[in-house]
Amino acid sequence: AGGRCSGSWRAMSPAYVPFLPQIRGSRARALPDRALVNCQYSSATFSTGERKRRPHGDRKSCEMGLQLRQTFEAAILTQLHPRSQIDIYVQVLQADGGTYAACVNAATLAVLDAGVPMRDFVCACSAGFVDSTALADLSHVEEAAGGPQLALALLPASGQIALLEMDARLHEDHLESVLEAAARAARDVHTLLDRVVRQHVREASVLLGD
Amino acid sequence: MAAGFKTVEPLEYYRRFLKENCHPDGRELGEFRTTTVNIGSISTADGSALVKLGNTTVICGIKAEFAAPPTDAPDKGYVVPNVDLPPLCSLRFRSGPPREEAQVASQFIADVIENSQIIQKEDLCISPGKLSWVLYCDIICLDYDGNILDACTFALLAALENVQLPEVTINEETGLAEVNLKKKSYLNIRTHPVATSFAVFDDTLLIVDPTGEEEHLATGTLTVVMDEEGKLCCLHKPGGSGLTGAKLQDCMSRAVTRHKEVKKMMDEVIKSMKPK
Repeated sequence: AGGRCSGSWRAMSPAYVPFLPQIRGSRARALPDRALVNCQYSSATFSTGERKRRPHGDRKSCEMGLQLRQTFEAAILTQLHPRSQIDIYVQVLQADGGTYAACVNAATLAVLDAGVPMRDFVCACSAGFVDSTALADLSHVEEAAGGPQLALALLPASGQIALLEMDARLHEDHLESVLEAAARAARDVHTLLDRVVRQHVREASVLLGD
Repeated sequence: MAAGFKTVEPLEYYRRFLKENCHPDGRELGEFRTTTVNIGSISTADGSALVKLGNTTVICGIKAEFAAPPTDAPDKGYVVPNVDLPPLCSLRFRSGPPREEAQVASQFIADVIENSQIIQKEDLCISPGKLSWVLYCDIICLDYDGNILDACTFALLAALENVQLPEVTINEETGLAEVNLKKKSYLNIRTHPVATSFAVFDDTLLIVDPTGEEEHLATGTLTVVMDEEGKLCCLHKPGGSGLTGAKLQDCMSRAVTRHKEVKKMMDEVIKSMKPK
């Protein structure tokens, strides 16, 4: 089974991310009771202002891959597919801030498209704190400004946080407002993704003649 | 029932359709899949193009950087193509170093650029012997469903049309380059090479624009690259079943027709893209 999704969320974060999850058996590392989730992150050489020489295999890509794997292990019902492997490949074509969030959102749609059972959608958004204001969905320029940044991956129905990562220093009094901004934006993404998925299913069932 | 037959006897399944002179998806043998092109979608690249040939999706991004010109040709720049077939485009490709297919495709694109003289390398020179442009053309396949060479060539051509290079002047006193980002100019594209791929079935039948499954079942493939004056830029026939001279001529005339179709599409897109 394979699922593919590509989205250009120009409104939220202009990082175009298509990928494909698949289920395969990988003998050596197979786990007896659940599926192995494997994520690979790759960004195109032309995705950033300066040409990137190594599209994958460098430290940032490995870290991103690991974060994506941790996020999706929390969401995918791995117990339903023992001794199998689910591969998630993410390719960034254009990066303008919030790449982790865009990757997670695209990955959610692709995993759904592949028919892999998930606990809930995983919606992500980045947020920062500039001039005593919490800002959601930072662009590249805003990220480069060097203020505190937060990446949040949320399971909207239960409100549970799958992944939360923060850079730079932020006073604990402000954490609440920044988290709230990110969570609100993530819920907005959820509304959008939900609508898109339902639309797609409706169209697909019409084509199948249901 | 048809799906079951297709899984068990794919070649017979295809033969039934080929006898009726059509593809399983209803196309005629000489017909291409729906081609769409989108130029300039990646703003971080100096030039970009996305080409869809049926399900095959290819994106080309071009980045321009400075470099010292080669010592044996001090008035020329470089064009460096690279084709990437990542695991996400198809189940056939696993992660790791570039596979054979990607290397062959990269070399093919390099040959097309060299033979067709799409751009004069002299145009890329800023200051002879000191500074020139190097254009890194990175082509990534997002979805592999056959006929990757045609899609890559088209994407490359469209992206090159989209590239805008800023004006660079060398400061006489300091010897450093000064880039004027406000003044940008398009590249001078001299020819428009268009690739047409064919698959050979059972040593006799030629079909145009093979899909992934058809490529897998084919006994040979052939790619012809033509430019607008009917000049042959490149002919790529990697082994496979033999072809007679007459069949080759048929292929070349089909390539000429395809060139006209593609050129028309390119002109429309460029016209809509350039500021009025």
